[in-house]
Amino acid sequence: MHVFRRIKIFAGLSVAAAFFAFAGTGTDTSQEPKISLPYKKMGLSREQAAAHLLSRFSFGATPGQIKQVADMGLEKWLDQQLNTTQPDTAVSRRLQGYDALAMRNEDIVNTYLNAGQVIRIAAKNNLLNRDSVKNLDKPEYRQQLKMIMDQQGYKLPQELQRQLINQKVIRAAYGENQLQEVLTDFWFNHFNVSLTKGQCQQFVMTYERDAIRPNLLGNFEKLLEATAKHPAMLEYLDNATSVSNENELSRKQEKSAFVNALRKRMQDMAEDSTRAGSQVMQQFVKNRKTQGLNENYAREIMELHTLGVDGGYTQTDVTELARALTGWGVAPMYKDGPGTRLMENTPPAALARRGLIREGDFLFRGDKHNENPKTILGRQFPANGGYEEGMKVLDLLANHPSTAKFIGAKLAARFVSDTPSAALVNRMADAYLTSKGNIKTVLITMVNSPEFWEKKSLREKVKSPFELAISAIRATNADIVQPFEIYNWCTKMGQRFYFYQAPTGFPDRASYWINTGSLLNRMNFGLAFATQKIPGVRINLAALNDNHEPESAEAALTTYSRLLLPERDQEDNIRRLTAMVRDVNLEQKINAAADKTPVPGVAAGTMQTDMQNEPAAPVPGRRNARAMQRAALGKKNLPVTTLYVAGNVNTVSQVTGIIIGSPEFQRK
Amino acid sequence: MTDRRAFMKSGAMALFAAGLGGVPSFIARAAGSSKILAPYKKTKTLVCIFQRGAMDGLMAVSPFSDPNLKLLRPTLYMSPAQTEGAMIDLDGKFGLHPSLGAFDPFFKEGRMAIVHGVGSPNNTRSHFDAQDYMESGTPFSKSTPSGWLNRAVGLTGHDASPFQAVSITSAMPRSLYGDQESLAINNLQEFAIQLRGNPFASGLASRSFEQLYDQTSSQILNKTGRESFDAMKMLNLNHIKNYQPAAGVAYPNTALGNSLKQIAILIKMNIGLEVAFAESGGWDTHFNQGTANGALARNLKDFSDSIAAFWKDMGAWQDDVTVMTMTEFGRTAHQNGTGGTDHGRASCLFVLGNDVKGGKVYSNIKTLAKEDLEDGRDLPVSTDFRSVFSAVANRHLGISNNRKLFPSWEGQSAEIMKTV
Repeated sequence: MHVFRRIKIFAGLSVAAAFFAFAGTGTDTSQEPKISLPYKKMGLSREQAAAHLLSRFSFGATPGQIKQVADMGLEKWLDQQLNTTQPDTAVSRRLQGYDALAMRNEDIVNTYLNAGQVIRIAAKNNLLNRDSVKNLDKPEYRQQLKMIMDQQGYKLPQELQRQLINQKVIRAAYGENQLQEVLTDFWFNHFNVSLTKGQCQQFVMTYERDAIRPNLLGNFEKLLEATAKHPAMLEYLDNATSVSNENELSRKQEKSAFVNALRKRMQDMAEDSTRAGSQVMQQFVKNRKTQGLNENYAREIMELHTLGVDGGYTQTDVTELARALTGWGVAPMYKDGPGTRLMENTPPAALARRGLIREGDFLFRGDKHNENPKTILGRQFPANGGYEEGMKVLDLLANHPSTAKFIGAKLAARFVSDTPSAALVNRMADAYLTSKGNIKTVLITMVNSPEFWEKKSLREKVKSPFELAISAIRATNADIVQPFEIYNWCTKMGQRFYFYQAPTGFPDRASYWINTGSLLNRMNFGLAFATQKIPGVRINLAALNDNHEPESAEAALTTYSRLLLPERDQEDNIRRLTAMVRDVNLEQKINAAADKTPVPGVAAGTMQTDMQNEPAAPVPGRRNARAMQRAALGKKNLPVTTLYVAGNVNTVSQVTGIIIGSPEFQRK
Repeated sequence: MTDRRAFMKSGAMALFAAGLGGVPSFIARAAGSSKILAPYKKTKTLVCIFQRGAMDGLMAVSPFSDPNLKLLRPTLYMSPAQTEGAMIDLDGKFGLHPSLGAFDPFFKEGRMAIVHGVGSPNNTRSHFDAQDYMESGTPFSKSTPSGWLNRAVGLTGHDASPFQAVSITSAMPRSLYGDQESLAINNLQEFAIQLRGNPFASGLASRSFEQLYDQTSSQILNKTGRESFDAMKMLNLNHIKNYQPAAGVAYPNTALGNSLKQIAILIKMNIGLEVAFAESGGWDTHFNQGTANGALARNLKDFSDSIAAFWKDMGAWQDDVTVMTMTEFGRTAHQNGTGGTDHGRASCLFVLGNDVKGGKVYSNIKTLAKEDLEDGRDLPVSTDFRSVFSAVANRHLGISNNRKLFPSWEGQSAEIMKTV
């Protein structure tokens, strides 16, 4: 089954391409259970059921979508989502110009360099006077650095990170295959890696693209393997540095003249701080001395990725697993780096003799692998298991009953309730085991269960900040020209995505997301979003109501509550709010208050701009907007609903902001 | 977890929160003067400052009397004997960097302790890993979901204010990850319902939200919603905006200075702050760190001036406040080829407070001779950071369970605090 993985050659791309092509087509759909949703039995109307399904399997319904899904049939919609068949034209259009998203790791590490790396390369190539390095904070120096970067085509890592962040917002908001985006968020968080870690940050984009996205509806084992071998995970949890020094092959090499000469050269390079990558070299040389077994990844793969903390493993299992994964590392890819040159200059046969197996950017180093026999979770692994030994352990972990239960429970917590019933989790775990970890099968089993449709499950989950922001975009058909602003708000609301430091990922429960600070920021997000005070947010609230103007503030309240929160009982909310907005002079008061206060620039304080070289969104200042409108309408006191202009506060935008910040909108 | 509502009702504050809809201005006024008013049970506050990037402890507090240092750092060596930019001699063995001069009086008065050779038993030289381990407080386990300060908050074991644990940062630091509710906020003025530039609309929105959260059927949204509005009323934003520090105190206009000023405001408002967190960046001095002047000197000056301003501003609150600094590791004993230092092992930290057994550099450092260095290059860790953190938390926050504070650690707390 794993024949294709045995290709012991250095052929980079072609191997990677073959691997991903293979990974995408691994599942046999004939085994999946039929979708049969018991919502009627659970007392839900088709529309109510569609609303519930959309609230869990998408980032929120767009206007009219609930009716659309109800009309086409919930089963059919779900089938489309499970097979990711929808064309994603809006996403493609919005991602034009995001050049980093298609890059290979090798190009990324040689393009996105931090200032220190640029200095070293520049000094080495005599592009920079070494003395000027002494004035690190002088403007001339910065200018020079920027010039060199432009000339050489280097870019800062922050640019890569921005493209990564923006694409997540864009795909979640505008993707047609919503379940794919929901599961990208889910699985990334399950197999968390973080931009906070320097050695790993440059690989996070390709991690999501190549390890997570192609595998999120396939077999769990494939997903696990893809994450295990990706440079981002190998660096994040340190497996790339976990080696055995008691290896026969390695001992032989210690004696060879070739290796000694190489070592001497590396030492020299490490000591020459003007050389490109000298820091990498220093690390390399230091690692040679101090390296040994590192158990981080072995522990987390059992505790967080597969078995769960109570999954029945011991510290001995952790150590043994760490030994089984020794030698699993990242292929060298720095231009002119010693490792890269070694790989390039050594014939494949010689690499194979040294026990090297390369698969794309994953490199197995047989000379650093622990060759002893091992016992993991009660199973014996004979000596000299090599690369296949690790693969067998991953297989063992992926198909373990504890894993079935752990993954079942985690999916149920995401899709059904913070505290899913044991019956549901057990059913999902059984489906997991009989399907050998087929994720689609587990999800179908979940939605075919009555528990998914129980009245007490409806609106039980609290949206994460990201879910809140994206659902607001979708509910209002908002055009987001600067996705990075949405990320900044998510940070304020407590979810700095891609930056969660711990391998646990964000806890997926209401009590984590909801605290005093984050809740106020959710309300503020609603207001800022609806009044279009977030730079680059464009909303046409009038269009949502077919350009009919509500005749009063009360009417606006009723109309927009129903538009933004369809299929929910809101009479109580509306009644309470009506008392607040029942003020004939409301609009004038709002306007009067605005006129008296100094106008801050609407886009002031926003350092981040969009990646797409699109012209910045023309967001007029409030005063301008009002003046423009007054000019256009030729009158001073405007009727309630004519002020649909960016940056403007009016009754409709205010009401919409209150709805988005309301408790009901936080629930899904 | 403790019940916030119970706390609100129990404190005198409940009167204002429930009845008057806001903190009476006299409390906020008091925040600007040195008069203590305590609507809450008085709390002790631990202020932690994380120096991200790894401060060069050998330059901040330099073992100048060790002859090896000059050999290891030919152009970075400093001593009290030099004519210009001399170090401040602390005890004949260690010298304080002149840019840390603001600490000198605290040290002499016995309020400040310096612990040298401190760090983590895990020898990683990765910023990320070392910070992660120091903040989680578990140097060999990455999956510890909580941070040590969050556990400390939980171990105080009494009713909590919404402002019990506050980090003046845009995102929650690893130290405060966990089940105990904590607040991460860059700017206290953002703790309000606001629609920029339109107070009328803000007020209307605020009242509307309060109504809606008051009646929602979701228990957590209902409870936290009420707490949020109560908390919001506890902070008087006008007074935060117009805050005047104690006479003669000027905070540096820097990130750290502003963070500490906001912490001072919270402390003076007596709203139950027990753990405060701030951070300071720019300590990763691989290039030209300078000596009496230069990048490191500037950073040290900001660091010490900010802390000194904070301490003076604390005035009558000083007995209830302890400041502790931390950094993920130290830097190489020798200087590198670009006038800087690379990632090393041990560094030093500062503890300031009236319950500190100060005026002393606590150190188990041997010498800087090659055989005494770790891997022949780094100042070894001779004091586990947990022994210092636990000592401070034990004494200042009254936490006694070190096994829960630092799981799987069995060491002893350092004796750097006065006995009760």
